[in-house]
Amino acid sequence: MVVMVLEKVPKSLRGELTRWMLEVSTGVFVGSMSAMVRDLLWDKCVEKSRAGRCCQLYRTNNEQGYAIRMHGDSNRSIRDFDGLMLVTVKNAKWEQMFVEPAS
Amino acid sequence: MPYTTQNLKELPKFRDGLSYLYLEHGRIEQEDQAIAHYGPDGMTAVPAAALGVLMLGPGTSVTHAAIRALANNGCSVFWVGEEMVRFYACGLGETRSTQHLLRQVAAYSDHDTRLRVVKRLYALRFPEPLPEGLTLQQIRGYEGVRVRDTYAYWSRETGVPWYGRNYSRGNWTQADPINRAISAGAACLYGLCHAAIVSAGYSPALGFIHTGKQLSFVYDIADLYKAETLIPTAFKVVAESSEGVERRVRHTLRDQLREVKLLERVVADLHALFDDLELPDPYADDPSKPGELWDPAGNVAGGVIYGGDGAGEGAQEPEG
Repeated sequence: MVVMVLEKVPKSLRGELTRWMLEVSTGVFVGSMSAMVRDLLWDKCVEKSRAGRCCQLYRTNNEQGYAIRMHGDSNRSIRDFDGLMLVTVKNAKWEQMFVEPAS
Repeated sequence: MPYTTQNLKELPKFRDGLSYLYLEHGRIEQEDQAIAHYGPDGMTAVPAAALGVLMLGPGTSVTHAAIRALANNGCSVFWVGEEMVRFYACGLGETRSTQHLLRQVAAYSDHDTRLRVVKRLYALRFPEPLPEGLTLQQIRGYEGVRVRDTYAYWSRETGVPWYGRNYSRGNWTQADPINRAISAGAACLYGLCHAAIVSAGYSPALGFIHTGKQLSFVYDIADLYKAETLIPTAFKVVAESSEGVERRVRHTLRDQLREVKLLERVVADLHALFDDLELPDPYADDPSKPGELWDPAGNVAGGVIYGGDGAGEGAQEPEG
């Protein structure tokens, strides 16, 4: 199973995705497809998302059982902890702790 | 915050979980109802309930609330040094019953059953059955040969020279890369086995082969899996490059442990060690029944007031 979440992307891209996947909620797509189609769809999203954001999740044979990739989100990123993929966010509390206030 | 009891079914089974997470340089805090790691790169939410072991490296600080949340989720916490000199602390584990611990103690305290468990532990390490009727001394001899052969085999396979297992306890960097890789990987493996033992309700201190340390049983169990996981992984990692072996060995070991389904096997192997001892489990039909009180003539019910004369103080059945 593949899940994709698209935010603030051109409408045409969302339309294109519905050719392969179901849009179960605004911007949330679910489908089953081969790894090759999945990668091609991902490339398409990255190419056409412009200022928007997208992420893709798919089942794979690792310890977590799935893999994640993200594009276009400057606050959120995937970090690799010795093979365990976790999401790192730069939120307000983190900024308070780690970013020097501009004086 | 009022204390509420948790639906224990929410806790994932150990075998379904993630093995370990190593964090360093940052602050671990409770974030809403979860655990978060604040580091230079941002805030990372830690899936504590699904995690077996959280390893905290140098430069980490952790709040009281975070430790409480980790303990409630049955996630073991280990403080490890850069040199993998381990200190440890662990939460309560997921089990509240002492059924397994009692079986372990019963097996441990009797000379014959202890010897049987020791032989089982050794037998598990050998792919083919050992000859019948060996003495413990002979088995140890076989075991020594097996370990030496394993090192020699992987050294030949990977081309990494092997001069024996030696490490200076005082100086990490002095050891050769293969010994450093084995030590770093062993810390992970010990952490996992420790978490499994605590999670299944056994004592990490009552070892059968190893003895005299708080983690004796951890060493017993970890030794079952070293030859198929740690040793090949360490040699392969060092064969690729001798730079940064500690980090890469943790990475590769995770894949290897999943491949041999270690998380699923380790708890089953633990139970199998004490299988035919047939201790009755008084909590089989009601796990939340109050604990019993020991009596030489046989246990008596707990949750009962014994010997009072005044109204409401006499022996009575607990409510519910």
